[in-house]
Amino acid sequence: MNLNDPESMNVVLGNVLRYGVILAGIIIILGTFGLIMSNSTSETGSLLTYNPNSVPHDGIDTSPAGLLNGLVAFSAFSWIELGVIVLIATPVSRVLISVFLFVAEKDKLYVLITAVVLALLLFSILVTPSIPGFHA
Amino acid sequence: MFLVSICAGIFGSIVGLGGGIVIIPVLTILFGVDIHFAIGASIVAIIGTSSGAASSYVKDKVTNLRVGMFLELASASGAIIGAAVASYTNSAALEIIFGCILLISLVPMVMKIGEEIPKSPELKGLSKRLGLKGSYTETDGSVIAYNSTRPAEGLAGTMVAGVLSGLLGIGGGAFKVLSMDIAMKLPMKVSTTTSNFMIGVTAAASAGIYFARGDVDPLIVAPVALGILIGAAFGARILLRSRNTTIRKVFAVVLAIAAVEMILTAFGVLP
Repeated sequence: MNLNDPESMNVVLGNVLRYGVILAGIIIILGTFGLIMSNSTSETGSLLTYNPNSVPHDGIDTSPAGLLNGLVAFSAFSWIELGVIVLIATPVSRVLISVFLFVAEKDKLYVLITAVVLALLLFSILVTPSIPGFHA
Repeated sequence: MFLVSICAGIFGSIVGLGGGIVIIPVLTILFGVDIHFAIGASIVAIIGTSSGAASSYVKDKVTNLRVGMFLELASASGAIIGAAVASYTNSAALEIIFGCILLISLVPMVMKIGEEIPKSPELKGLSKRLGLKGSYTETDGSVIAYNSTRPAEGLAGTMVAGVLSGLLGIGGGAFKVLSMDIAMKLPMKVSTTTSNFMIGVTAAASAGIYFARGDVDPLIVAPVALGILIGAAFGARILLRSRNTTIRKVFAVVLAIAAVEMILTAFGVLP
């Protein structure tokens, strides 16, 4: 693929977004199936109607270690969570890959712009949750 | 929940908003979901709408990548500023102010209601240096070439959009579309698809906070995310075939709803 062709940037970025979304979708579907298989109908009914009391939205371990344990144990929640993380990572990877595409195009101005956006994004995702007083 | 999310995905991907204005009230009012989990689900929904539809828009070159990436500077930094000052601000007052701004911005929107393609401004200064121009092909084969203008104002408007997303978790898309449409004079389709391209990044910026707080509930997010992705795929097909005037009309209606929703939330009528 000729990266100097500006048209190919659209194709590459379009594909990054498409495959990210498809991957996230598949993982979430698998997790949802797992959820339906492992629960009684009264609980899975909440997928359609939502009962705030029966939903175990507390006590979900969102730490990396907790997530990893859940994935290994084939916990449906953890797999859905993984799908959500892939979904969140999709626009981030799109920005990351744009930096490289502009480097390949030798467009210094846009290398700088996209690199700053990426830095802001990573700061916001990884650093701000641990700063007290930050609220979203 | 799944079906509502499909609708939210269709609308969100056409007008360049995240679908949060559909998802949040429906989840809280119809399904009795706590507002925190509703906002958490809406953040995921925005990322889904954005990435799901943008893959088509970007490939079809309707999205202006350079405009999008340039404006992301403002929306991403705005989102961080918004999150930093959120605990010191009165969200009801902000909702009233921004709700009113959205209502006022309906005026230029409605005045341009019959406009298919804006008269292209001359490309000069910063816009020229940044290469903020482009062209796209309509489904009938005609090629629409356009330039943009007033990048500083576009950047400022997008900064407001970013601050708003960081502060209230909603309303970013509307200000992005308005900045590109009113200040930068881009064709409507380009404005909504480029906004759609950007909102995923703005939402991803705040996703870390919601995720760490445990506001992303798998049981709520699973049907919402799947519905949104399907809706966005449909919405993208519809937009590419739609006329700019039609999209502008739909956007104006959604803008009015969003503005009223914000004001009602401020007065405690909506959660």
